[in-house]
Amino acid sequence: MDKDFINENKTIEEIKNTFHSAEAKLQRKNRIIVKLRSDLIPPFLSYAKNYLSFDHLAHFSCVDWIEDNQFELVYILYSYEKNIIAIVKTRIDREKAEFVTVKHLWRQAETFEREFHEMYGINFTGNNRLTEFILEDWDDIPPMRRDFDTMQYSKENFYTRPGREDAQDVREVITKKSGEKIPDFAKEFSVRKLK
Amino acid sequence: MREKETTLYFGPQHPGITGNMMVKLKVAGDTIVKAETHVGYLHRAFEKLMERRTWMQSFPIVCRICVPEPDPNEENLARAVEEIEGREVPERAKYIRVMVLELSRLAAYFLWMGGQSGTAGLYTVPQWSVGDRDYILDLFEELTGGRIYHMYIWAGGVRRDLPEGFADKVLKTMDYIESRLPEYDKLMFDNAIFQKRAQGIGVIDKDKALEWGVVGPPLRGCGIKHDVRKDEPYEVYDKLDFVVPTYEGGDIWARAMVRRKEMEQSISIIRQVIEKMPGGEYYNKVPTPLNWFVPPGEAYVKTESARGEFGYYVVSDGSLKPRRVHVRGPAYVHGVSLLENILVGANISDVAMIMNSLGVCPPEIER
Repeated sequence: MDKDFINENKTIEEIKNTFHSAEAKLQRKNRIIVKLRSDLIPPFLSYAKNYLSFDHLAHFSCVDWIEDNQFELVYILYSYEKNIIAIVKTRIDREKAEFVTVKHLWRQAETFEREFHEMYGINFTGNNRLTEFILEDWDDIPPMRRDFDTMQYSKENFYTRPGREDAQDVREVITKKSGEKIPDFAKEFSVRKLK
Repeated sequence: MREKETTLYFGPQHPGITGNMMVKLKVAGDTIVKAETHVGYLHRAFEKLMERRTWMQSFPIVCRICVPEPDPNEENLARAVEEIEGREVPERAKYIRVMVLELSRLAAYFLWMGGQSGTAGLYTVPQWSVGDRDYILDLFEELTGGRIYHMYIWAGGVRRDLPEGFADKVLKTMDYIESRLPEYDKLMFDNAIFQKRAQGIGVIDKDKALEWGVVGPPLRGCGIKHDVRKDEPYEVYDKLDFVVPTYEGGDIWARAMVRRKEMEQSISIIRQVIEKMPGGEYYNKVPTPLNWFVPPGEAYVKTESARGEFGYYVVSDGSLKPRRVHVRGPAYVHGVSLLENILVGANISDVAMIMNSLGVCPPEIER
């Protein structure tokens, strides 16, 4: 079993030897997961890029763990040489969402950071281009935060089309108008009934 | 004397891309000094919507992230869910998925040919290529019921088996497409106008390509041989025989040649898939979608789409709905940081050519 993961295990060993507090583990073939303290992320990414040949920042993601009051930042690095993807994760405080930029390592990180600034309200120090990106004139809380209620927002900001104020079920309207019978399964599996 | 700089708003409607995206250009004379990508015209908050929908309801959403080539999205989400769940996929379904992915790659390349030559002023090619792409869309219509958005690949396999006689129709279409390729060579690739407009324009620095996050045909157009289908074979790509074409130069011409050669490879892959496709089940049934709890976990999966690495980072917290689905489209990097950089120094008339050669697809950037 271990023979299949020689490359992966070797990389994990190297990471553990250099960063003692890093939790590195194998996820599956070609995937390792590294969990780190947030202050170690910039040196770690620089080390991963320059010494472990993780030269491709494939993806950079953010997950809102509202119950822990934290944001999880996920850097997904790929090494063309080793053919391994490293999922590097760290958590930062949700209330005072601040982190440092890594755009000096990979300039495409700037785009991701702009998006997270807009969608999650994370301030990346060192990135001087945290300007409007996707949204326009947005004045509510950052919309990808889990406490942003899309339904409430649309109720407050948009009006219902005349004749649809009571948000009728389209199927019922069709039945009333045309007298056409709806097959039972449509009602059986309607989302409303679920609740 | 320094020439006066003018601001030119290129888009949001223009021939360079499929979709709406604006590039704000600072120009001196007709040379670009600075470029800034502005997106937001197609933002539909798919990722936010998915957090409020069940896993099954997410499948009709993801395919809308890329119009020219929706299937890698479905396949990625399906594979990510399968990885988190540990769900087995029947062998036949894997072969069908590869067939669908390669058909969609061909369809995307036909659309690209139309766009690329249209921006160079060769207006016959778009008429032809969009017409020939329709033969592939006909196949999709018969297989899935939809021409553009298929909603065909889902967790556990595919939605339905091949209709009777479908394999023969696919082979016939492949023969037709193969017979058309020399015609496209004459009209587009051997055309002096196209060569003149493409060679030496929009050059990507080979030494920086990996670090800048360039993927897909633009990367292979720099002479770097990387393809997700070979690096990390998914579905049944490891059982198929194909080569990864590369071309030196890093310019529009190199990217065009890579795509042209890949079309032949795709045709060959589809023929092999049909020949080797086993019988049996095509779907490993998931529980009732309304009661389908995916165990907690995370997965990053990637596909080689027509424009490069298409990645999905999916997180489940064990509930009925995804915790997070984050899409990494190739255009996210190609259309913003890369485009802004290689446009500097280019001529205004080449902007649309360069954008098209990178395969910029704005819905991937804003999702």
